[in-house]
Amino acid sequence: MSLVLGQRAIPRDTTLWEWFTDPVTWTGSGGILVSLGDTVALCAAVIVASAILAVPVSAYLAHRRLAQVTSAWLVNIGRALPTFAVAALLVPISLRGGYGFEPWPIFIALTLLTVPPMFLSTYVAVKEVDEAAVNAARAMGFTERAVLLSVELPLASTVIFTGLRVAAVQVVATEPIRAFLGGDGLGRYIRDGIGQNNATLTVGGTFLIAALAGLTGITLTAIERLAKPYGVRRLRADRSSRPGETDEVDVTDVAEPAGSHAAAGRLR
Amino acid sequence: MILVTQRNPVLRWSYFGEQWDRIQAAIGEHLFLTLTPVAIGFILSAVLAGIGLRYRWTVGPITLFAAFLYTIPSVAFFGILRTTPLGLSIYTVLIPLTAFTILILVTNILDGFRAVPAPVREAADAMGLSPVRRLFTVEVPVAVPYMINGLRIATVTLVGLVAVAGIVGRGGLGNLIMEGIRRQFWTPLTIGALLSIVLAITLDLLFFLLGRWLTPWARTARS
Repeated sequence: MSLVLGQRAIPRDTTLWEWFTDPVTWTGSGGILVSLGDTVALCAAVIVASAILAVPVSAYLAHRRLAQVTSAWLVNIGRALPTFAVAALLVPISLRGGYGFEPWPIFIALTLLTVPPMFLSTYVAVKEVDEAAVNAARAMGFTERAVLLSVELPLASTVIFTGLRVAAVQVVATEPIRAFLGGDGLGRYIRDGIGQNNATLTVGGTFLIAALAGLTGITLTAIERLAKPYGVRRLRADRSSRPGETDEVDVTDVAEPAGSHAAAGRLR
Repeated sequence: MILVTQRNPVLRWSYFGEQWDRIQAAIGEHLFLTLTPVAIGFILSAVLAGIGLRYRWTVGPITLFAAFLYTIPSVAFFGILRTTPLGLSIYTVLIPLTAFTILILVTNILDGFRAVPAPVREAADAMGLSPVRRLFTVEVPVAVPYMINGLRIATVTLVGLVAVAGIVGRGGLGNLIMEGIRRQFWTPLTIGALLSIVLAITLDLLFFLLGRWLTPWARTARS
């Protein structure tokens, strides 16, 4: 069991350079490649699951302007849930059910971490779509379904995707707690570094996690640019030629989790 | 298996009676480790926000730096400081925890002051208020809801991160969680986890109520 075995002991005077250039560090059952694969798989699963859980429901509710107060409360409570505690709480239950230390407890906890901000950014984004555009679509005979799918969602897509990106980076940065709850992933190097009081391992592990988080952000930003609907791209170009008219939804600066709070206030 | 289940239930209620002192100490430490960094972080953030409002060009660098601190994974921050000479001292957890609050608090304080409508500020000036009086009687009240919002988020975030600090043995209720994991003895784990959740929701609610109490005008305006 990984919890007991841990990483092979690394001499404390190993330098970071020696650790990173040693092939054994990369390959093998406790190697970086395996750990990286574990982490990426879990994070990807969490993001996909959260998007499926949060976006459609939220977009529909926002379109119908339903459940504003309830959503605000749920989002607030969801945000107050401490991820580490939730994951820990689920560990004995998962073991009892025969599902092992991971992935279920950490998967559920991370999903609970990302659903509220994704839900919120989707809700605000759809709600703040220019009413003129929506009414124009209705006047042209769009069904409500078409209004949501081909007007509101494309216009809201930038903000929704930004929310997803922020959530993804946060998941990558939080996922290492898994190593302390009987699991593995990139957090194992930090865990073993603490266990062996070895700074090389903790710093090396931190470096790996930071690199992955950064890479996640960059990759998703690139995808976001490429996948932006054609009409929305043109819209932005139009706007920039009309100075002084920036009625974009300002939750685009959800770049920091704190930024979305302006949005929280508005939702309430 | 059945035997194990009986010996090691998810929660054994008698533990509360037997270990009440430990639980109480853990709650106390958890509260201390949550509220101290929030308080220090609030003072630091107020200063940083003040600098940012006075010298506009500093806002970018300040936010960037705060965002950098915020993105350091908590386990990594604790882990690295644990292997420095700080070792097991309280600073190993206080420093990261304080650092994590800065981004949340600075952005919210800045938002708060930016929310003061220019005409309101001009009216205050026209009424002959000194800059200091204008700050405390006009601008701060407008910014209070934003500050409270920031404090709420910072506090609940920290309740969760203090639990994570249990990995270096300095985490209040997190210590109970880690003990449970290490010994595979579920009662302390469940108690630690449940109480951290309760603590987070309670503190969130308290700050929410504090915000309502501090801004009685907001309620009448909204209804």
